[in-house]
Amino acid sequence: MNVHLKPAQEIRMTRPDDGIKKGDPLLIVDNITLRFGGVKAISNISFDVRKGEIRAIIGPNGAGKTSMLNVINGFYHPQEGTITFRGEKRNKMRPHVAANQGIARTFQNIALFKGMSVLDNIMTGRITLQKRNMLWQALWRGPAENEELEHRRSVEHIIDFLEIEAIRKTPVGRLPYGLQKRVELGRALAAEPALLLLDEPMAGMNLEEKEDMSRFILDVNQQFGTTIALIEHDMGVVMDLSDRVVVLDYGRKIGDGTPDEVRNNQDVIDAYLGISHDE
Amino acid sequence: MSPAFLNFIEIFLNGLMAGVMYSLVALGFVLIFKASGIFNFAQGVMALFAALTLVGLQTGQVPFSHLINAIFGTEIHHWGGGMNSFLAILLTMVIMIVMAFLIEKLVLKHLVNQEPIILFMATIGLAYFLEGLGDLMWGSDVKTLDVGIPAGGSFWWEDITREWAASGSEYYGMYIDTLDVTATIVAIILVVALSLFSQYTATGRALRAVADDHQAAMSVGISLRTIWVIVWSIAGFVALVAGIMWGSKSGVQFSLSLIALKALPVLILGGFTSIPGAIVGGLIIGVAEKLAEAYIGVPYLGGAVENWFAYVLALAFLLFRPQGLFGDKIIERI
Repeated sequence: MNVHLKPAQEIRMTRPDDGIKKGDPLLIVDNITLRFGGVKAISNISFDVRKGEIRAIIGPNGAGKTSMLNVINGFYHPQEGTITFRGEKRNKMRPHVAANQGIARTFQNIALFKGMSVLDNIMTGRITLQKRNMLWQALWRGPAENEELEHRRSVEHIIDFLEIEAIRKTPVGRLPYGLQKRVELGRALAAEPALLLLDEPMAGMNLEEKEDMSRFILDVNQQFGTTIALIEHDMGVVMDLSDRVVVLDYGRKIGDGTPDEVRNNQDVIDAYLGISHDE
Repeated sequence: MSPAFLNFIEIFLNGLMAGVMYSLVALGFVLIFKASGIFNFAQGVMALFAALTLVGLQTGQVPFSHLINAIFGTEIHHWGGGMNSFLAILLTMVIMIVMAFLIEKLVLKHLVNQEPIILFMATIGLAYFLEGLGDLMWGSDVKTLDVGIPAGGSFWWEDITREWAASGSEYYGMYIDTLDVTATIVAIILVVALSLFSQYTATGRALRAVADDHQAAMSVGISLRTIWVIVWSIAGFVALVAGIMWGSKSGVQFSLSLIALKALPVLILGGFTSIPGAIVGGLIIGVAEKLAEAYIGVPYLGGAVENWFAYVLALAFLLFRPQGLFGDKIIERI
């Protein structure tokens, strides 16, 4: 636990500016190779995510998309290659450190804290911003209380933004799937991330829910200027939302560019149609 | 009221209070199990170690005095004056926190992602290590622990209950130990404080988050290792409270570590993942034990039912409700 005893008004509520201008690379993935035993999940993949953009990672099942996200947020440690985030180069990092640097994410199969309320779930998203030490919290007076209330206020903004006011006290496990996805997005947003990773944000949703989610993603990107990297299978959504797309297949990169460029890339078309390549 | 009924109430109440003691130990188990999936066999020994350290500090014993005397031929026992109880408790708590750090650093860190059975084995090792360390540091003689908790029968309660009996009957009032009453109050305060802490603070939320989903917890920036240190520290604190209560009641002796075994049926009853379960489980075991002793043991079986009844009850639960009263239902995907 950190021992910062600054007065309440000095608490850092947004991440310090990293000096990276909009459009410059925020995240650079350089020559990443990830192996599980003898199996290569990712081989020599390089791409970047520019500040302020929505970057999609697409590819058929088993292409290594989720593995790529897991590398970026520190769940997996690649055997080769480096990741540069906000100008800091690293090749091995623990997930909580990545979170502290401003990488937030959602999961393909929703990883919420099922027993906790919507409000508590989203509050956990602010843990990296809450710096009072445990003893202050245990006393629950003065600085820790002020801090808690301040964070609570910004969480309420997120709840308003995602239009989930009515369910804020409900245990997450009882909510329908689409709403759970939305809460998970809220938890990631609460961290005020510099980079937001979304793993199939629309998987398993009906059309209406997909439209809602697309709107939220666009709003997050435009209103808060948050950089987003997302994995998605719905091609219509991907082409509409994203500024640039990177295409993976069997752990290799086979395409990279604007939605139009990718759409007309022969390798990408072949991969999706299942046409085999000569190695 | 008839004396027979009053007797029943007396046994029931005493059972409840004995149960509180079991609950205190079971609580430490549940905290660690929820946060890390580790069944901490050493919880009982932690209580013993805490009590030993507390007595040692309080009476001003020199730690490792036997060892020092054996090596250097000296004759030291105590370093003069003892220590104020409050100060001794604080210092013991500090030692328990240091211990949590060391356990994380030396044991858990190296066993991340191992099978639960391996972690369990590690805690068995830890239990024996701590028992040995406690012996080496403070000696193996039975010590009396007195931190100023009132003990002995409550005359006030005896007088009141004597009035309840039908006039003319030979009833002399109920016996209730004030130490048990204190233990109950302390346990209630402890549980309320713990649940407030876990409900309303950022660290509490982090603890619950880790208990719920490790991966998601890491993704929001929670360090599992920090959480483990915190959880083991809290478990150390609970062990200290349990150690003080048990130590004051029956002296600080090494058989104290065996109360860990009584916590097992409590956990089977209450469920390994539920704090209210640990409390209620402890109370049920305490009451059931005392009632079984009084109404089955003494009249029919010649006594000593108290020693095994909890396990029989746990066995019945394993047959009919393996997840316990409050535990999460275990659903295995095949």
